[in-house]
Amino acid sequence: MSDDKISPASAPAPAAPQKHRDPLALIVRFQSLIGLVLVAIGGIIFSPRRHGEILFLNPDNIANIVRAVSETGIIAIGMTFVIITAGIDLSVGAVLGLSSVVTASMMISGGFGLIPTILAVLALGIVFGAIQGTISTRFRLEPFIVTLAGLQAARGLALVVSGNQYINISYGDGPGLAPPVFAVLGERLFNNTVPVATLVFVVFAAVATIVLNTTRFGRYVFAVGGNERAARISGVPVSMVKIAVYAITGFAAALAGIVHAGQFNFGSANDGMGYELTAIAAVVIGGTSLFGGAGSMVGTVAGTIMLGALANILQLNNITPAMQLLATAAIIVLAAVLQSLVRRREGLGR
Amino acid sequence: MKTIKRASTLKAVLLAGAGLCIAGSAYAAEPLVKACAKDGQFIIGFSQANNAEPYRQHVNDELEAAVKEVPGFTLQIADGAGNVNTQTSQVDNFITQKVDILLISPFEAAPLTPAVKRAMDAGIPVIELDRKTVGDPGKDYTAFIGGDNFKIAEEAGKYTAKTLLPDGGEAAVLQGLPSSTPAVERLNGFKEGVKGNPKVQIVAEQAADWVPDKAQVAFAAMLQAHPDIKVLYASNDMMAAGALLAAKGAGKDVKIIGTDGLPGPAGGIEAVAKGDWVATFTYPTGAKEAIEMSKKILLDCATEVDKTVTVETTAITAENAKQLMGK
Repeated sequence: MSDDKISPASAPAPAAPQKHRDPLALIVRFQSLIGLVLVAIGGIIFSPRRHGEILFLNPDNIANIVRAVSETGIIAIGMTFVIITAGIDLSVGAVLGLSSVVTASMMISGGFGLIPTILAVLALGIVFGAIQGTISTRFRLEPFIVTLAGLQAARGLALVVSGNQYINISYGDGPGLAPPVFAVLGERLFNNTVPVATLVFVVFAAVATIVLNTTRFGRYVFAVGGNERAARISGVPVSMVKIAVYAITGFAAALAGIVHAGQFNFGSANDGMGYELTAIAAVVIGGTSLFGGAGSMVGTVAGTIMLGALANILQLNNITPAMQLLATAAIIVLAAVLQSLVRRREGLGR
Repeated sequence: MKTIKRASTLKAVLLAGAGLCIAGSAYAAEPLVKACAKDGQFIIGFSQANNAEPYRQHVNDELEAAVKEVPGFTLQIADGAGNVNTQTSQVDNFITQKVDILLISPFEAAPLTPAVKRAMDAGIPVIELDRKTVGDPGKDYTAFIGGDNFKIAEEAGKYTAKTLLPDGGEAAVLQGLPSSTPAVERLNGFKEGVKGNPKVQIVAEQAADWVPDKAQVAFAAMLQAHPDIKVLYASNDMMAAGALLAAKGAGKDVKIIGTDGLPGPAGGIEAVAKGDWVATFTYPTGAKEAIEMSKKILLDCATEVDKTVTVETTAITAENAKQLMGK
């Protein structure tokens, strides 16, 4: 079931040519897929059963897993671009909150229609990201600092827009009501099996995979992260690429914010608190190097779903949230250690 | 002849039986849970809004204690961690597990409403604790159990007007997070309560967002501006603790009232027992009531339960604090 849904994302990702092929590098390349398979096997083995049915594999349960991770997944897709350029974007969770608030208030108090609202919010995300990218490249500031400031700015703006209140989204025709079609984001399609939020995630992942692996822009992203100076000398518009990747994370966060508002009929300045860290974890587990220059979209998708499946199986077995945090921590460390071992073998250790 | 008669008797019996069935389904309401049984094994899933808040931890503890008393009941608690997405997926997981009853304190009302509906549609009774989702109890969810913030604060106001300041004097209020529902209700309730004594003046009210450090700063400033404040009403125990520090720092003997009445070394009951505060008014968790209701539904096959249960507050003062400390 879940395999069906991620299949567009796992469409053949042309492997970047690598000279040194050793088994460890192969494991790292597919670590999150391997991890996902391991978690799935563990899920099946340890799943509670009811009347002989394995609850973990229940279609509803699979739908729960992929729905729950869709927002952080969308963000993680954007984050993958940034991290491949050796950057980081801490503002995404806050931009999600800002976007959900703007979505809710445009439709409820602003009286805007569905399409103008969605376009405006996506544009807002792109502009917000591009501004961060521009400040970072123009003044040669660490993206960590710039996006940390961006996080505060986005939360502040969200509080201003919402007037310190949360905004409920009610549906119907007329002023103060949102178009009912927007609520589809919280529903499931195809005979009540596939959550719409998951579809958005899968489509976005598919587009991002194609952009990263087949376009010139995708090659530039890898080049900037691999060796910025070499990229500059060989004519890559480094600054433009960097600004673009932050615009992409801004877009992704805005898209996740729209999905959030639609799923929960609600916009709050506190939405998406801490999502940036979950997204970064998913990207790192997915095998994308924080040093830049290497990474894969398929890995990020697998990493995202793996974290969701892990949380699910722990709750189905009534294991405390503390264990979930500890398990996630162990997986992040393991993923990072594997990466660092490969770098050392290839003589790239820093 | 005989055979014909027998056939018609059979027919009559069948008809009567069918009639009874129709009457049965029309008049005798079905139990809320079909698989209910005196000696059954049942799982109660509790979807908690955020374990990080001391009050919510206290709810979990009381629920665990109450469930232990009932053989056959198992409690599973999922921590929504203050995140509506997490909490929604946890409710969905409970539905997948087919828990027998869902208890929930929704982190926010509207976002958790669809998840509660899915549980009800799946035939799982939903008891909402302390916070509600959108809709009506008895229809959109089975029941609501909780305290009444306004009444609790009103009790504190009356206590101030009658017992603490019968001859009048200055009082101050520390409010919770502005625009949050309990903060507004507790502020208005206290004001209503002190109205009984016109000689009591509320000279200052400030928001300290439920946290002790902000309460300390705010109350220190209040005492600078109004050195004659005799009573402080804090809208929760944490802010009362902060206010105590400010009063000690200023060398003032202010009578402090808390709200929530949490147990444990950091809670209000012990502070009253030690004589640091004059009183705290419990915000009841409703845990015992929720498990009682679960017993009615699952063990006694109840066909209906009270739609709304308001749990009364207890005033904790020097007289009963020591006795309540062990509980």
